[in-house]
Amino acid sequence: MIKNRNNTIASIIVLLFGVVLFFFGTDGFQAYTAETARVNQLIDDKPIFPEVTLEDSNGRTYSIDEFKDKYVFITFLYTSCATVCPQLELNMSQVYDLLPPKYIGEDIVFLSISFDPERDDPATLDRYKDAFNSDGETWRMARVPDQSELESLLEKFGVIVIPDETGNFAHNSAFYLVDKESRLIDVMDYTKINEAAEKVTQILENEGGE
Amino acid sequence: MNQSTLGLLLLVFLIIPPVANLMESVMIIHMHMQMPLLIIAGFLMGKFFQMRFPRFFEKWNNNGIPGVLLFIIIMAYWMLPRTMDEALNLTSIEIFKFISLPFLAGVPLRDSWRKLSKFGKNTLIVLFTLAFIFMGWLYINSPIQLCNNYLVIEQIILGWGFLTMGIGLIVYLGYTFFVDPSDYV
Repeated sequence: MIKNRNNTIASIIVLLFGVVLFFFGTDGFQAYTAETARVNQLIDDKPIFPEVTLEDSNGRTYSIDEFKDKYVFITFLYTSCATVCPQLELNMSQVYDLLPPKYIGEDIVFLSISFDPERDDPATLDRYKDAFNSDGETWRMARVPDQSELESLLEKFGVIVIPDETGNFAHNSAFYLVDKESRLIDVMDYTKINEAAEKVTQILENEGGE
Repeated sequence: MNQSTLGLLLLVFLIIPPVANLMESVMIIHMHMQMPLLIIAGFLMGKFFQMRFPRFFEKWNNNGIPGVLLFIIIMAYWMLPRTMDEALNLTSIEIFKFISLPFLAGVPLRDSWRKLSKFGKNTLIVLFTLAFIFMGWLYINSPIQLCNNYLVIEQIILGWGFLTMGIGLIVYLGYTFFVDPSDYV
């Protein structure tokens, strides 16, 4: 009898340990992949878009201050990508179309940032942008020519890019929303177009009401 | 050399940074070679702990159930896609891996396995067969990259590794169910 009780006590302790382990291991049963954990962390941290020089498809260079007092809707891509990026940009163009036109360019700017500055020069970006009906003005495509600046940006925004053997990159994709003070305020699932458009519209409307 | 020393040497070997880095550079080797070897190291060292603390195991793991539960919990924890990523990015989780797999999975499994009935053993194997098939299905079909440190292709290879293990376990279960070794003596 005593031994049975000991077994039960030991089992309960082990199970409690398991619950605690999983609770802390998954941020309270929230995040089972590192990607979810990363996104939750970013939304909590709200990092500032770092001081990097962007060079867009028209060859203009500027920092994020170019978009001061505007929201910026950002994606990260490289143009030689044949898999996720075209889908990501296509979805981005649909969000662009779904937003009320009065906000576009006034209160919000779209920005696609390439993490492959070697191949994605302004001319390449210019050709790529046409494929997605980006006007190069209210939706710009840009690269970060300086490698160390690029790395600091990717690090800040938790974009993980792994080069593979064939000159391609594996990378995580999402819609990033930066507010008027260049602070990252949301990371959205790039496959949920309507949800993202509604969320952004809501934020812009609230802003207008103030 | 007794098996406890062998287990300790195996653990030390696996912790050596170049060895650890090499094994962790390939997803399937990380999960299906490094992690099982860590458990085996603990399993071998289990003998030492059984001889050193016989009363502890006798008292708290008398029927083997607590030990098996602990083993299952640690296994399940390391099957989460997130933990494998974090082992690569956070030193604390990496250290936890080298401690938990041998001492909280290998050692208790050693002590519990003998105490389990045939039914208990087979239940455990069925459980892991189902878990491996599920993990295989998940890794092969996941539309997203589950681990940020590894490419999707590696994820698919790992998925097939899981399915292969699941199939291996099914073959074993079929064998124990249909074949009576005493017929062949």
